[in-house]
Amino acid sequence: MQATVITITSGKGGVGKTTTAANLGCALALRGQKVVIIDGDIGLRNLDIVMGLENRIVYDAVDYVEGRCKLKQALIRDKRAPELYLLATAQTRDKTAMNPEKMSALCDELRPDFDFIIVDSPAGIEQGFETCLAPADRCLVVTNPEVSSVRDSDRVIGLIESKEKDRTTHLIINRLSAARVKKQDMLSVEDIQEVLSTAIIGVVPEDESILSSTNKGVPVALGGKGAAAVAYSEIARRLMGEDVPLQPLQSGGFLQRLFGRS
Amino acid sequence: MITIKGLRQGLLIILGEGAWHDTLRELEARLVNSANFFKGGLVALDVGAQSLAADDIERARMLLSSFEVRLGALITQDAGTAAAARSLGLGPTLPAPADPTPARRTAVAAVRATEGVEPAEAGLPATSVSEPLDGGTDGILARRRVRSGQVLRHPGHIVVIGDVNPGAQLIAGGDIIVWGKLQGSAHAGALGDTGAIVGALVMQPSTLRIADTQLIQTGKERRRDAGPRVARVNADGIEITIWQEK
Ligand SMILES: Nc1ncnc2c1ncn2[C@@H]1O[C@H](COP(=O)(O)OP(=O)(O)OP(=O)(O)O)[C@@H](O)[C@H]1O
Ligand SMILES: [Mg+2]
Repeated sequence: MQATVITITSGKGGVGKTTTAANLGCALALRGQKVVIIDGDIGLRNLDIVMGLENRIVYDAVDYVEGRCKLKQALIRDKRAPELYLLATAQTRDKTAMNPEKMSALCDELRPDFDFIIVDSPAGIEQGFETCLAPADRCLVVTNPEVSSVRDSDRVIGLIESKEKDRTTHLIINRLSAARVKKQDMLSVEDIQEVLSTAIIGVVPEDESILSSTNKGVPVALGGKGAAAVAYSEIARRLMGEDVPLQPLQSGGFLQRLFGRS
Repeated sequence: MITIKGLRQGLLIILGEGAWHDTLRELEARLVNSANFFKGGLVALDVGAQSLAADDIERARMLLSSFEVRLGALITQDAGTAAAARSLGLGPTLPAPADPTPARRTAVAAVRATEGVEPAEAGLPATSVSEPLDGGTDGILARRRVRSGQVLRHPGHIVVIGDVNPGAQLIAGGDIIVWGKLQGSAHAGALGDTGAIVGALVMQPSTLRIADTQLIQTGKERRRDAGPRVARVNADGIEITIWQEK
C-alpha cells in the first residue's frame, strides 16, 4: 500500500476546508479505504471537534514529531468506519512546531499503511500552507461561489503550480445555492471554471445539515442522506478513480439545474 | 548612466562610474521617476569595478527598500567589494526559485511569474535575456494564464499568450500584448514611454496605465468591449479603440 496524500486548501478562511477534510475522510473510509486525516491547522484544533473526537486526544502530531509518543499512540481510531484515523494538531501557539520537512517526513512514515492521507490546511498562504502543501500528491482547492474566495483560490492555484513538484489540482465548489445563482448574487459554476481553469471534482451545495452535524460531531458523510452527503460520497468515488459524471442528465436533480443550461 | 535589464529572476540595474554618492542620487532619481515599475521588484545591482565597503552597499539597499525594491544580488569585478557584499548576504546572482517547472514552459522564453522571480532557463546564462536582433526590441513571452497575486515585470515588452486574471499584474517598460482576456492590471511604458500601447483580445483591465496616464473607467465599457482592443495615450488621456491594421 502506498497512500495518496491529498491536501485540502483554499487561501481564504472559513470556506469549508475542515468540513471537506472530515467528510471526504469519512466517505473514503466507508468505501473500504484506509484513511488518516491530519489536522494541519496548528493552534486551532478544529478537525477533532468536527469529527466529534476531541475527548479522545491524548497525543497529537507535534507530540509524535517531538518524540513524546509513538506514532500509533497519536493515531486516534474512529470506530464509525472500518479504517479511519485522525492525527490531531497541537494547541501550542508555536507554529514552528511543524514545518514542510517534518510534515513530509510524517506523511512518508504513514504512507505504507494507508490508502489516503488527507491534510487539512489552515487559511492563508503562509508557513502553515507551505507545511501542508509539501507532502501533497494532489490538492483539492475549496472555493465558495463568491468573488473574493475565487480570487484567493486563483492565487493558491498559482502558488501550487509554481512548485517544482507536479501535482494534480482539483476544485471543490462549496456552499453553492442554485437559487442564489439564479438571482445572480452568486457566481455560477461556469463563471468559476472560466477564471480558475481548473477541473472541478465536485460541487457541494449549501446544506443546513452541515451545521448541525458539525455541532454534533457527526460528519454528514457518515450516513447522512442530504445533498451534501451525496456530493461528498461522489467526490470520494472520483478520488478512488471511478468515473462519476458531474452532471446526471436524467435525474432532474440539483446538479442538472446547475449545469443544464442547454 | 544607469541601465536596466530584465533577468529571468528579476531586474538587473547596471550602475555607471563615478562617486558612489552621485551614483546613488542618480539611482534615486530613476526610482522616483518610475516608482511603479520598480515597486515590489527583486534587483541585482551591477557596480562594475567600483570599490565599495559594506556601508556603501547597505546604503544602496536602504535606498532600494524605501521604494519597496529588494536587493537580491551584487555583481562586481572588485574582490573587496564582493567580500563586503557577502558579509551582507549578497552573492553575485539572484536566487533562482527552488521550483522550476520545465514541463509547463516553452523553449523560447516562457516565463513563470512568481512575484516576478524567474528561474534560470537551462542552457542560458542566469543573468541575461537574449539580446534583440536587427532593431527588434527586448521582451518576454509568457505562454500561460497569469493568476491572481502573480507579477510579470520587464523593462522591455510583455506578451502573454493566455488570460491575465483579476489580481494579476503586468508591468512593462515597453508594450503589453495579451493574446487572451486582460482582467488584471496592466502598466505599459512604466519607465516613461508615453508611446507604449496595451493590446488585448478581450480588454477588461481592472486598472490600465501607460507611462503616467491612468485609464479612467466609467464601468460601462467593460461589457461592451468584446473583441480585440488597443489602448494608447492621446491628448485627452488613454483612448481604447478597435484593433485593426491601418
Ligand atoms: N456546504 C455547506 N453548507 C452549509 N454550511 C457549510 C458548508 N460547508 C461549510 N459550512 C460551514 O461553514 C463554516 C466554516 O467551515 P469550515 O470550518 O469547514 O471552514 P474552514 O475553511 O476549515 O475554515 P478555517 O479557514 O477557519 O479553517 C462552518 O460553520 C461550517 O459548518
Ligand atoms: Mg479549518
